[in-house]
Amino acid sequence: MNQTATLQASKSTIFFNKVKTFFSKPHNVILVLMGIVLTVTTVAPIIAIVEDTFKIHPGTIDAHLTGQAAGYTTVNYIDLFTSKLAKTNLWTPLLNTIWLAVGTCVVSILFGGVFAFLVTRTNLAWRKYLSSIFIFPYIMPQWTLAVVWQNMFNSNAVTGTSNGLLASLFGIEMPLWWCKGLFPSLVVLGLHYAPFAYILIGGIFRNMDANLEEAATILDTPRWKTMCKITLPMVKPAILSTILLVFGSSMGSYPVPHYLGLTTLSTKYVSMNSKFTGEASILAIIMMVFGVAIMLLNQLSLTSRKSYTTVTGKAGQSSKFNLGRVGRYVIALALVVVTFFTSIFPIVSFAFETFLPNPGDYSFLYTGDPSNLTTKWWVTDENVSENGMYGQKGILHNETIWRAFRGTMLVSVSCALLAGSIGTLIGYAVAKSRRSKWANYVNSVAFLPYLMPSIAVGVAFFILFSNQYINLFNTYTLLIIVGTVKYIPFASRSSLNSMLQLSGEIEEAAIIQDIPWIKRMTRIIIPIQKSSIISGFLLPFMTCLRELSLFLLLCTQGFILSTTLDYFDEMGLYAFSSGINLILIVTILVCNTLVNKVTGASLDKGIGG
Amino acid sequence: MKRISALLLTLVMLFTLTACGGGSNPPAQDSTPPAQSDGGGQDTPAPADDANLTETQKIIKEAEGMTLEELARKAIEESNGKTFFGVGNSSRGKSALPLFIEYLQSIDSSYNMEFDWQQPKNNKIFDQLTADSLKPEGTFAMTLIQDGNQIESKMVQTGILDTFIPKEWAEANGTTADSYDGYLALQTLNKVFMYNNTGSKSYDNCWDFVAEGEHGLYMDIDSEIVGKNFLYMLTEDTYAGWLKDAFNALSADEQAYFQPTIKAMESEAADLGLGADGAYALAWIKLWVESYNAQTDDGPICNTLVDKSATDQFGLLVYSKLRSVEESSSVSVNNINVAAYDDGYTGIGGYGYCHYLFVTDNSPLPWTACAFIAYMTETVDGFSAWGKDMGGYSSNPTVAEGTEAQYGHSKGGMAEDGTTVEFEAKNDRGYDWWTTEGKLVLEDPEYCADVAFTVGSWVEMLTKYSAG
Repeated sequence: MNQTATLQASKSTIFFNKVKTFFSKPHNVILVLMGIVLTVTTVAPIIAIVEDTFKIHPGTIDAHLTGQAAGYTTVNYIDLFTSKLAKTNLWTPLLNTIWLAVGTCVVSILFGGVFAFLVTRTNLAWRKYLSSIFIFPYIMPQWTLAVVWQNMFNSNAVTGTSNGLLASLFGIEMPLWWCKGLFPSLVVLGLHYAPFAYILIGGIFRNMDANLEEAATILDTPRWKTMCKITLPMVKPAILSTILLVFGSSMGSYPVPHYLGLTTLSTKYVSMNSKFTGEASILAIIMMVFGVAIMLLNQLSLTSRKSYTTVTGKAGQSSKFNLGRVGRYVIALALVVVTFFTSIFPIVSFAFETFLPNPGDYSFLYTGDPSNLTTKWWVTDENVSENGMYGQKGILHNETIWRAFRGTMLVSVSCALLAGSIGTLIGYAVAKSRRSKWANYVNSVAFLPYLMPSIAVGVAFFILFSNQYINLFNTYTLLIIVGTVKYIPFASRSSLNSMLQLSGEIEEAAIIQDIPWIKRMTRIIIPIQKSSIISGFLLPFMTCLRELSLFLLLCTQGFILSTTLDYFDEMGLYAFSSGINLILIVTILVCNTLVNKVTGASLDKGIGG
Repeated sequence: MKRISALLLTLVMLFTLTACGGGSNPPAQDSTPPAQSDGGGQDTPAPADDANLTETQKIIKEAEGMTLEELARKAIEESNGKTFFGVGNSSRGKSALPLFIEYLQSIDSSYNMEFDWQQPKNNKIFDQLTADSLKPEGTFAMTLIQDGNQIESKMVQTGILDTFIPKEWAEANGTTADSYDGYLALQTLNKVFMYNNTGSKSYDNCWDFVAEGEHGLYMDIDSEIVGKNFLYMLTEDTYAGWLKDAFNALSADEQAYFQPTIKAMESEAADLGLGADGAYALAWIKLWVESYNAQTDDGPICNTLVDKSATDQFGLLVYSKLRSVEESSSVSVNNINVAAYDDGYTGIGGYGYCHYLFVTDNSPLPWTACAFIAYMTETVDGFSAWGKDMGGYSSNPTVAEGTEAQYGHSKGGMAEDGTTVEFEAKNDRGYDWWTTEGKLVLEDPEYCADVAFTVGSWVEMLTKYSAG
């Protein structure tokens, strides 16, 4: 009896031992820590913005309607949903936003998907060149394509402005729906996000087992039926992933609809913020609700995707469609032309713009007179005398631009390192405990900020960090926090996908040898999956370099390069904005090439792993 | 999963319903309207006596009795070796600060001060100042800010900003700090009607800009709020009267086109409590809002109008933009006319708005802020960051005179010989001309704040023209 009693441990000891065992596994420590941190960084801003919708703001509609200068009220909800302005302030922008998001998904999937098919599953010519050039629109800030669109298609007769290139050189006047509003917005955003579709769908096409298609061919199944019944269902998960990523991103895009004259929830948020501050916050919440809804859809798609893993994971062989001796060149040529206009032409036009005497002044093109070109936008080293520089020094001497460049590099590198490291750890920890509900929660909460529209995330963080205790507006700290939270999904997703491919036996063998966790990570796991992991660092870096919607409300112009670029674009000083664009593109290409040379990783191995 | 989705959806709906349901009691419309200033000024926590003054207000009161040099000595004492943070709607505060530091160094050569000047966008300056005001000691020492309406309701009535009236500025304006009732303006800027003259069209009446088929280029009123203030100001009796006079100068045919709209606005004007000519103002505003072609900034508008391809286009934009146009085969300042400069032009020529200067109530460097404000408003050098360009008029008559003597904006469009007119549009006729013959509509913060939720809400209801 006594012996039995001595063997019994107290409940607290058992609990303590369980906790000790639980925390002896590094991935559990990571999960607990990250779960807490991410809950705070994701939920706290949401709470702050919800509170803001009930707050009375002096000098705005809620103060006017309540007759109070402070306190809380529900009047913002009532006014937004029921006033005569409900259609203007809520329903029309909401509808436009949904159309924009849906349209962008369609364009990006069609363009990116067809391109992915042609590059990966056919004997198309010049595939390497096309593959590299295709991602350029994603490298460039999204609204720069919108500015190029305007410069190309605007005309005095239709848009009531000066003539763009087409109208100036060829007298072609495009219709209004082509120049302004929904159509150009969704095309521009679609082109910008098409590389998402290309990377995701292309990844599946590349690894797809061709046996199924071959079986269909042997059974004399028509080509279209094979495509509809076999090929498309196999890429369905990738299409769903693209929708998930693109829908939220396009929904929260501010600059493209702003430049192309489309009223969306994002543009409405900015325009309403001065007089309808609380109601504008409700718009941000509506955008967030869409983010949550997309996350739920993501969960559903993840569940359904399981049934496809056996197909995509074990590719035996892949055969390529033969486009014919002529066809492979003709189609390639068509793609070269298309990608010229989406990727090369904008860069050429940016470069050209920096040599024009006035913004948008194409005199040189129709006179051929070199005196209609200038280098002043680059080399002017003073801003005292007025020489058509709007009080600015040339790009090479402009302290504002170069200070912003340094700021951007600081933010981008910090965000990449933090988001990349945290995301990698999350991916690792989730993969190790994939059946745990907490792991699923951590995975979801890490992914949520990416699905929330950028502008709404920016708004939420602005409200959270603008109080008497913490006031981080216009600090790099705030930008780094927000950027890290927003971009963790890039790394966590990439890391999770690669960690899932890794057999547990590899690490277990090291555990048996009593090798410490740090060593296991640095000597075994990270080296094996370095390509995907480095992509998880590279994507946040690149995205952060030209991010605007997220940072728009968090800092002043001149603080980072994207807000400076937007400032010059808004002011109509296209030479400066074009110069900044070139700086950004060169920076990204140099970094990508360097990383590629050193590690073998590259951008197109990013999302989806 | 479906259950979770359903639960979440239900929660969202419940949340919305609760929010809406909370409003079963209608909001008290204007039950206790916010206090209004009696002179466009600072009547918020307007202290009854010195005992109620905040620390900054006490310093301001003392500073208002000092000369610039005395203030400069206080500033040197306070800020030597420190960093001065300013925030403003104009980027040129950044150019003015080094000149101010040089001035202080001319008094004490050992003086040095770092500075940081921020220019927020998208109306964020108000959020930034509000957030900063929550701290016991703020980051920003002062601000240079536009939009009298929001300044009044968000900054002054809430006690976030304090007005400082420099002694010599007051003297130059024939007043004193105690008797002056209003904000301190650094300068007035004008936005004027300009049109491309490469076609046959001309605009000789301000109603021509809202005639059938016209779509003037204009910064969106939701993106630059002073544009909205211009519309509010049109309903003020003087300016509504100007619009009526201009209407009367139209031909019978032209009047017939506008008459139905004016008639329709009569009841609206009565409902909004406007004066006798209010219907003319509302009609013009309605036609303008429903026709203007919104642009992101005045820069692109200027770029468009000076191009020869922009035949018959017009816009309402900052006059000073003309300074940076470089002549080329297709671009020229001579491709545009400033409507108000045309012989026989009738009606409003544009509108004027101010850049105001304030000390933040929790300013970390209040003496330095006062000295900097005095320097900008009392000296030609201090104002030169703005004064070197046309279209910005110092609120100090002495500085305005000195600026004109130094930069000669009234002859800015003359050829080098000084007699040949090279660019008519660049011969700035000056503040006095613009506010009299040029019929500039001037922003009055108090009036704007007064009508922001009457006329303002009416403007919100109008359907804006969309080119897309």
